[in-house]
Amino acid sequence: MAGKGGANPATYSPSPTIQKKKAPLFKEDWVRPDGRGFHQCRPAFFRTGAVNAASGSAYAEFGNTKVIVSVFGPRESKKAMMYSDTGRLNCNVSFTTFATPVRGQGSDHKEYTAMLHKALEGAIILESFPKTTVDVFALVLESSGSDLPVVISCASLALADAGIMMYDLVASVSVSCVSKNLVIDPIFEEENYQDGSLMITCMPSRYEITQLTVTGEWSTPKINEGMQLCLDACAKLAKIMRSCLKEAASDSKE
Amino acid sequence: MEEEKEPAMVTPGEVLGTVSEFKPGKGTYVAPHNDTVFASLTGYRRNISPAIDSSDQRPIVEVTGHKAHGPVPQPGSIVIARVTKVMARSASAHIVCVGTKSVREIFNGIIRQQDVRATEIDKVDMHLSFRPGDIVRALVVSLGDARAYFLSTAKNELGVVSAESTAGATMVPVSWTEMQCPLTGQIEQRKVAKMAS
Repeated sequence: MAGKGGANPATYSPSPTIQKKKAPLFKEDWVRPDGRGFHQCRPAFFRTGAVNAASGSAYAEFGNTKVIVSVFGPRESKKAMMYSDTGRLNCNVSFTTFATPVRGQGSDHKEYTAMLHKALEGAIILESFPKTTVDVFALVLESSGSDLPVVISCASLALADAGIMMYDLVASVSVSCVSKNLVIDPIFEEENYQDGSLMITCMPSRYEITQLTVTGEWSTPKINEGMQLCLDACAKLAKIMRSCLKEAASDSKE
Repeated sequence: MEEEKEPAMVTPGEVLGTVSEFKPGKGTYVAPHNDTVFASLTGYRRNISPAIDSSDQRPIVEVTGHKAHGPVPQPGSIVIARVTKVMARSASAHIVCVGTKSVREIFNGIIRQQDVRATEIDKVDMHLSFRPGDIVRALVVSLGDARAYFLSTAKNELGVVSAESTAGATMVPVSWTEMQCPLTGQIEQRKVAKMAS
């Protein structure tokens, strides 16, 4: 190569790191931007059967976070895949181009895809569809914080709608640690200022956890409090999901 | 058979009872660690009384009624398949029905030379057994390999159930190896299925 990088003025240098400034609203006695209590979730809305072409689908709306999940299959696994006695789960999470305030960034989200797969895999009875694959495609229509928990809960509802055998529904809730407070179901602004986050994905009626993600620095009592908050919220979320499923099933009967 | 008056709607993960009370049926599963029967599907819960003479007197609990996923071929199931390609040692087919239900997605099957008929399996000529476009009733012998399910027609009631002649008419079976075209009277070779009637 021609130029030596050392004293080249044209090299890219990152702008000096700006100290993360706390917005005035995150001072001592702040209220949440949307006026919720710290331990109050956003109103959740679920509906199944949003996509006609899919075997099962669900739409979820938590505040401004809007997600649509479609489930296809079980269908024949791709030729390239190795033979397997049990079923397979294939997940994909993507964002629309208009999902975030900055336009044109919509694309597949590898990290969420992997996390969604991990969260759901344990809840599906894979033996019930040997050798075949179930595809789960999640599309974030509008991203406004706590995207992954919404995607996971919505996906489990879509799977149930598709009639895939499951051990239990999967509900997911996250909490953020903002200065000294724990805020449940954080929105985008709160996630930006968080010192740490904790997400629990659980099967509420079995009281089992399929995934736990912790980022940032947490003290043991804080973690305990956060987990308890999440588990309580998951149990309540599952109730909403169950009532949605029952409503949809009894509607289709009539 | 006895059913509850008002069947309750259940969703995956709801507790239906314990193993000592109920025998798990369709749409349910047992958690081995606490011997609890859970629902695995959305639908109506039904309790079915056991047969009088059975040794197990627990009622069977089932979850049925709502959507189930499309049928998936499993070893032992009888399928209807459309032959797509005939080769010297095997024939490929698309599975279109599993049991009485049509599949929502296409599954590939393969009938190998040794699985065409029960006798003289080494003398089978694939081209005298199937033609592309034939509708075949077959048994799934195994999940097969990564590409296809292994199908077998080695039974009297299995084989070609419907075939078109070169003239374009649906042929009539004459014997278990021959079918005849009603238009031209031409006889073509097939591994014909013996129909029940």
